[in-house]
Amino acid sequence: MISAIRDFSEKNITFKQQVSVSKQEEPQQKKHEDDSLLENNFSTRTRIGLDKLTKAFTIYPAKGLSGNRNSNFYEFLTMGIVPYIIGSASLIAIFNAYGSFQHSAKAKAAKLGNKMAMGVILYGIFKELSKTFITYPVKWKTGIDTEIPYVKTNHLLQESPDDYNLTSIEYHKVGESVDFPRWDLLYGDPNKGESINFRYDKIAKKNGLGTDLNDSDQEVKPMYKEVLIKSKLAKSISSFLWAATGVCLAFQEPMEKYFKAATLKFWKTDFYSQFKTFGKSFVESWGTLYKGAANAETKFEKHAGKAMIGLAALSTILGILNTVHITKKPKQVNVIDKNKESVVS
Amino acid sequence: MRTNLIQSYLNTSNQNQQYQQDKIVKDFDVHKELANRTFIKPLPSNGKLVKTNISNFTSEVWKDMKYDMRAFKHAVKGEANDHELGRLNDVGMKLGGLSIAAYLFTRKQTPMTKIFEFIGLATFFGAMDVWPKLFLQLPAYLIHGFNIRQKYEDNYGRKKMFYQDHQFIPWDLYSDEEINKIGNRLGVPKDIPNRREYIQEKMRKIALQNNTMWMLTAGFATPILSALMCNALEKPVAKYLDKKMNAKADALMTNLNDEILKYDFSKNKKELEQLLAENKGKPITPELFEKIFENISQDIDPMTSGSIRQDLERLMPKGTHVVSDEALTKIHTALQDHFKPLNLSAEELKQIIPDIDTIRTAMSEKNLFNGQMKEFSEPTMVIQNLLDTNIDKFLGEDTTSIQAKRLRLLRRTMGNAIAHGQDTAFQTAFKTQPALLLTDDISETLKSVSQVLNELKAKCNVFDRFAFIKVAQAQETVLANSWNEMSETLLKSLNFSPREIRLAKFDRELAAGILRNKLETLVTDKEGFAKFMDEFSRLLSEFESKMAPLLNTEGEEAHLYHKKVTSAFDDTARELYAKNMWKTGNSLVGYNSTAETSLKNIYMSFVTERVKSVRYSFHRFFDTAAFYYRIAQGYKLDDILPANMYREAKEEAVELAKVTLLEGHTSDTSVKLFQNRYKFPNKNDFSQIEVEGGRVKNKYFGTRAAKDMVEFANDNEYFEKVMKMMFGGEIHPDITERIKNTPFYEEFIKYRQDALKYIGGEKYFAKLYHLVDGQEHASSSLFKFILMGCAPDEMMYKLFNQKYNSKKWFSMVGKLGAGLIGVTLISQFFIGRTKDAKKIQQEAQK
Repeated sequence: MISAIRDFSEKNITFKQQVSVSKQEEPQQKKHEDDSLLENNFSTRTRIGLDKLTKAFTIYPAKGLSGNRNSNFYEFLTMGIVPYIIGSASLIAIFNAYGSFQHSAKAKAAKLGNKMAMGVILYGIFKELSKTFITYPVKWKTGIDTEIPYVKTNHLLQESPDDYNLTSIEYHKVGESVDFPRWDLLYGDPNKGESINFRYDKIAKKNGLGTDLNDSDQEVKPMYKEVLIKSKLAKSISSFLWAATGVCLAFQEPMEKYFKAATLKFWKTDFYSQFKTFGKSFVESWGTLYKGAANAETKFEKHAGKAMIGLAALSTILGILNTVHITKKPKQVNVIDKNKESVVS
Repeated sequence: MRTNLIQSYLNTSNQNQQYQQDKIVKDFDVHKELANRTFIKPLPSNGKLVKTNISNFTSEVWKDMKYDMRAFKHAVKGEANDHELGRLNDVGMKLGGLSIAAYLFTRKQTPMTKIFEFIGLATFFGAMDVWPKLFLQLPAYLIHGFNIRQKYEDNYGRKKMFYQDHQFIPWDLYSDEEINKIGNRLGVPKDIPNRREYIQEKMRKIALQNNTMWMLTAGFATPILSALMCNALEKPVAKYLDKKMNAKADALMTNLNDEILKYDFSKNKKELEQLLAENKGKPITPELFEKIFENISQDIDPMTSGSIRQDLERLMPKGTHVVSDEALTKIHTALQDHFKPLNLSAEELKQIIPDIDTIRTAMSEKNLFNGQMKEFSEPTMVIQNLLDTNIDKFLGEDTTSIQAKRLRLLRRTMGNAIAHGQDTAFQTAFKTQPALLLTDDISETLKSVSQVLNELKAKCNVFDRFAFIKVAQAQETVLANSWNEMSETLLKSLNFSPREIRLAKFDRELAAGILRNKLETLVTDKEGFAKFMDEFSRLLSEFESKMAPLLNTEGEEAHLYHKKVTSAFDDTARELYAKNMWKTGNSLVGYNSTAETSLKNIYMSFVTERVKSVRYSFHRFFDTAAFYYRIAQGYKLDDILPANMYREAKEEAVELAKVTLLEGHTSDTSVKLFQNRYKFPNKNDFSQIEVEGGRVKNKYFGTRAAKDMVEFANDNEYFEKVMKMMFGGEIHPDITERIKNTPFYEEFIKYRQDALKYIGGEKYFAKLYHLVDGQEHASSSLFKFILMGCAPDEMMYKLFNQKYNSKKWFSMVGKLGAGLIGVTLISQFFIGRTKDAKKIQQEAQK
């Protein structure tokens, strides 16, 4: 028999759907019985991030290690954060493993170790943050939010004869797959008084297709898909270049000022002055990265920093320009003839 | 034609074309198909399992690259699919990694650290790739008999992991035969019902568990493996780079004529030509002189620049001037300014100050416009006379009014400068036009001097590069690499235990104690010591053949570097002498005693001194080992510790020699040898010292109270004996036999002689006039410094630290890596456990 993993199952975690659910929680369950859109705001993003992070370190590995039949690609992908975090920590640890070295060697190693640690941290921050450089301008210009999250409810296979109606929750984005975007979720719910095409209407209007379109969804979908693909390309290339810029920043000399002031003894830390020192070092680091190190000799050495910043910025700008340049805009659109009677089923 | 919604969607573009046209059933009848229920059968797959091996590796990589390029094109147009976008994300990651490596490459100073930025990146991606292949895929294959990281190519040529999504595994790509073979390997009974499904479930489970293990371990494994790979690569890369850098340096000298062309002085040349053309035939003003000097002495050291200035001053002498119209105007203005404090009206001033024409006439009467002036007393006199006449006329009878007195006073102060040594306003005006004009001759001389110096500058740049790569006091120079290799091999052959290394790293004194103990133990073991000396002499011989040619500075045997330096400087100096730039020529090559301080000599001696300092450090170590051996073996002790010495003094002398050889620091040459000795030695004991286990069995030394120890300032033979013991005594024949035919033997003997002669011949070495053989031999402190070299204990102390650090790091990271590998491998045995097949079999039989 395939060993059950009930103890680790998401049945006991959020959005569970089983008999023992208390009555107060019911509305919440009800809400996510089917796949449904979530608000794209900071709170949702944080909640999703934390939920995925927790599960990536707990439930998903447990399911994977036991060979659970309900393990899927989503869980595998979500677990991708595990090597990322552990790897970053290991990398920091390896470069800072100089505990019993002699003082001078320790000081020398610490200098590099600190920079490596800061590099790893800035890599992650810049990589994620730089994606917003694309997301928001694209949203402002085209009205298309490429990052709308939704919650997906999976109905699972039985793990033991006692199981019934097992479900699990996944968080995805409407535009996660460019082959199969979840168009269905973008339609409005007439029961809530929403117009079916209200989201598509907005995008059509924003992109100059006019209002009162016959089938705004059909007109908008090719454009939406184009924006999704192009923005994904832009993010893929630019985010790593910004991440690289983050690492380069960590290796600037002014950062050493912060390392001298920084301490992990948070109970002894004056956070305000730490933050101030970091801010100052960070700003100065941009300066030295741009200008080149004082001991730079060749042109390549002098201008490498400029090139790095320029490359990252250029990839973002070109990415945005390419994304907002929509080629799949319909040439002719059908507008609703208001004089004509129509029946909506 | 078969009707299928998915099919029709995919057929919208060529890329989605799933089937070849010829495969399509042309006479498709939907009713017939429905009646036969063939329609509900899944479509046959066009996908295939990817079997990458070494033979098709490159073609697969090329295929992937083409796919990525196509994906990028599609994505830019907004037509890419999920798989293409996923691949592009990987491309972005590698691009980011390369950017980091390229940037950090610019921040690193040495070739090794530069190259390791890319090696680090490559090993990181390599480790990411290798870890699952080597420690999950391979053991799983060996244990379970199938590839858990199998890839397949789908209908559209997209490569995917077979077990990527456990809710969609394209099992149909495996034939029954293949599955059954794997089943046999997995030990699945052959006669169970649904055997294929059972095997598939087992395979799925094994793959899923391994994939999860991959995710859990990759975070630890990638950085650890990458770090260990870099660590392992450090030595081979260093060796390769050393060879490459050495060859590169040698090539610099062989191709000197081509190398100098890389330094472009055309801008400098053009600027000079422009400057000379613009000022052709014009007076050489101080400003013009400075501009010419700056151009010619650009990028030349301050000392040589000083000589160039002096030569140029001779070529274009200052100090002679001609009185020009401009000068006269300035003089007139200066006169007006001078009498300004009187607040006279313009009309009145006109009466006092002679106009320009009057001055010109008066001066030409005196014939002052022809020729050059070095000083201006005569024209000043002319102007003063004119002034006096005018003032007399202006004042008439008035001699007492304040106005008259002030006027006379101002007249008298005409020749006064603001500060001592400064020119007066009138002198400045007279100096308006220097007499010397920029003639074609001068221009040509300047151009050719500049040309000669530019050529030398280019050569010096190449010499600098050569000297840096070979011997600079920096990391990864050829000399530094030699030092590292020799000292590390010595440390290795002395075979220190981890405990000794751990203790010795704390400070130099502890290191000295441990090293001494090691040496004293080693010298008792004849065979072990012979092995050590063989290794040592091999290192010294290698060093001689690699670095010693750089020490040949003269004659046919001279190293190419020295030959090139000599000819470059001598030729330049000769050309400069021909152009009367003898001061510059002298500062380049010198004459008599100044040759030692010339630039040429500095270029040569920098290289030789660096090589010597390394050579002598190891000669000293060798000599130390030889002395310890001699004492341990008790070889001809009477020669160095004569019978007329008290036993106690003998013990003290041996101790001083041992300590000095091992620990005597270079700075001790200036603080003298120092030893407190017992003030009342036993005057009846003249016996020889006793040796046991490589160490002196002291009868007296070390037994006396510190308060009874004093320095014997009048024992002028004591230090002589110690010096002879260290550098003058005979070397044990066991050692001589081994080294007498090596390339370094003669140099080693010479080193001992030099040390004895120049350190022992120093007037104030131990005590004033405590000289070896009563002979004084003058030498530079630099030479003595080089002779002393690096003390063996200091050399080892630094190495102990390095060794400890790298060992510690390696053991820490290595243990973590080994632990991780162990856990990952062992986990394989707990993987893939499914419902017992036998039970299924039994259930089925029931």
